[in-house]
Amino acid sequence: MDADEPSLLAVEPGYKNVLRVRLALIWVVLTGIAGVIGGVLFDQPLFAAVVLALGTGVVAIAPQRRYARLRYGLTERILQVMRGWLFHTDTIVPLVRVQHLDVVRGPLDKMFGTASLVLHTAGTHNSIVTVPGLAPERATEMRDIIREHVRTDFA
Amino acid sequence: MSEPTSPDDQAVGEPERLHRLFLLTGLGGALRSLAGGYAAIGYLAVSGRAGFALAGAIALVLFMAGGILLYWRRFEFRVGNNEIRIDSGIFSRRHRSIPFDRIQDVDLTQGPIARVLGLAQLKFETGGAAVGPNAEEAVLHAIQLARAHAIRELVRARRGSTAAGVEAEEATLPLYEMDTRRLLLAGTFNFSLALFAGLFGLSQTLGDVAGFDPFNRRFWTGVAEGSDPIVQFVFQHRAGAAIAGLIVLLVIGAATGIVRTVTRDYGFRLDCTDVGLRRRRGLLTRTDVTLPARRLQAAAVGSGPVRRFFGWAELKVQSLAQDEGSADHVLAPLARAEEIGTILHALSWRAVSPDVEWRRVSHAYIWTFVIALSPLFLLLGVQALVLAGAPMLVHSSARPAVLDAMTPLLLPTAIVLVALGVAVAVRRLAWGRTGYALDGDRLLIRKGWWRSRLLILPLKRIQSIDVAESLVSRWFGIANLVFGVAGGGVGGHRLPAIRRETARALRRELLV
Repeated sequence: MDADEPSLLAVEPGYKNVLRVRLALIWVVLTGIAGVIGGVLFDQPLFAAVVLALGTGVVAIAPQRRYARLRYGLTERILQVMRGWLFHTDTIVPLVRVQHLDVVRGPLDKMFGTASLVLHTAGTHNSIVTVPGLAPERATEMRDIIREHVRTDFA
Repeated sequence: MSEPTSPDDQAVGEPERLHRLFLLTGLGGALRSLAGGYAAIGYLAVSGRAGFALAGAIALVLFMAGGILLYWRRFEFRVGNNEIRIDSGIFSRRHRSIPFDRIQDVDLTQGPIARVLGLAQLKFETGGAAVGPNAEEAVLHAIQLARAHAIRELVRARRGSTAAGVEAEEATLPLYEMDTRRLLLAGTFNFSLALFAGLFGLSQTLGDVAGFDPFNRRFWTGVAEGSDPIVQFVFQHRAGAAIAGLIVLLVIGAATGIVRTVTRDYGFRLDCTDVGLRRRRGLLTRTDVTLPARRLQAAAVGSGPVRRFFGWAELKVQSLAQDEGSADHVLAPLARAEEIGTILHALSWRAVSPDVEWRRVSHAYIWTFVIALSPLFLLLGVQALVLAGAPMLVHSSARPAVLDAMTPLLLPTAIVLVALGVAVAVRRLAWGRTGYALDGDRLLIRKGWWRSRLLILPLKRIQSIDVAESLVSRWFGIANLVFGVAGGGVGGHRLPAIRRETARALRRELLV
């Protein structure tokens, strides 16, 4: 295998649940807002029901597809992250360009046993590149690998 | 001394304050930033509560003045042997130390009031966050001009670069300079109807309230009522009135462009220093900015169809710092290709040779645009159908009435149709100029027709590369390459509409 062609790996299956819960929370809030606007202000309670149905559909469909398209790969020189369902982005960060690194675990991550690795580059666009849904040990391991390569060539 | 300082107290220097007149200059700035307050006062005044309005205005000024006095009282800076320290904050104190090693350059800005008073604002660029809340923290808002120069020279000397710089420079010829003729020409090219659009927007929102709406015919009829012959004349010569209106628009546009350009670029002068470039410009607010060559991330040559025809272009560079709120630093607002070459050469960058082999982007660049506009096309189609079909469907006796009712719809429909056609045509022209080329250790991207732009991006300045696809672009098998580069705008640099495989191959090539 070519050094620049990383083998692309899937992330933890638990990440699907993280996505589901996160989306569900957003849609619960949206349904609440729709309920207030539709039910109270315009006397149209059906509006909230439509939003709820839409949300259920999104929560049922989107996480699976986003998970299936989330891939990452790490070689000696680069980190590659592919993500996105409707809008697909495939990012490559040369490891020498990394300025600093975070391993982030939110409450949902802790619930489903995942962690995110966050790379900061000096770029203004895309200065933060995230690899979500990693096993915590894997995230730490990757952080240590990448840390070896971090050196600043900035003025 | 009450403030906590480090043990090497001797090395940090005497505490200094901002100049007393900061109370005056600072107040001006603070009052400018309070648009909401004025709106409230204006509302009170308009609604007949002048007493409240006056009290509100006085309270506002007192409050701001008090705030500035406190800020001034609690602001101290020291110039030490190795660092500059700034102690600031009214309630929560911040003790900031900026080592000379970390100061990339020192910018000097003088607003109109500050110039009269002999003050200057000094800003230390550290290469840290160029945007965001931390950007303002290394600024000395108002100090004596002489002291500002002294501190700048000190910083330069401590950093090891030869401080002979500034005065010796004056003798040498500038790298680039704008004379009055060039300035006026640049202003004409900056033709802008922003003022007109602003007036239009204002009259739409406020016109009803104030009874002032210059975009309404009745307003002018009312104004001209006293002078009856004029009204007669204007309404008898519609065509003449339209031409006169067009001329007024052109004059407003050109005047706006010239005024803007002259206030910003008056006395534009670019000098070569031992570490990079030094730029001075401004009529009212005079700025003096140094740009170390090694901090430059990318360069862009911008132009437009008219400027291109006459052989003019603009040179901007992207640095780690911001330039008076805009992402790029303008090095030459209006220059010939040779002058741009000279400036690039001074930065040890090669000029773009004319026989670069440009690679084109996919036709999908146009088609994705058409698809994005498709809802409008659909709407127009439906409307055309209705306009053409409705008179046919009704009984012949009702036909004239229906036609009569639809006549006012014809003009807007035609205008939208023409606008869409122009947009697509411009996109087609832009496609013709969009391309990319690998030029040794740098990538060249050019795009746009109306606002064309040639980007010079050194490969070692690329921080990350995205291959971005959307639902629509996937049908065409194309992707956008988005380059993350330090500094500059948030959007990054985009190479649009190249085949997915080409994008991946190019990316591999670029990151080698």
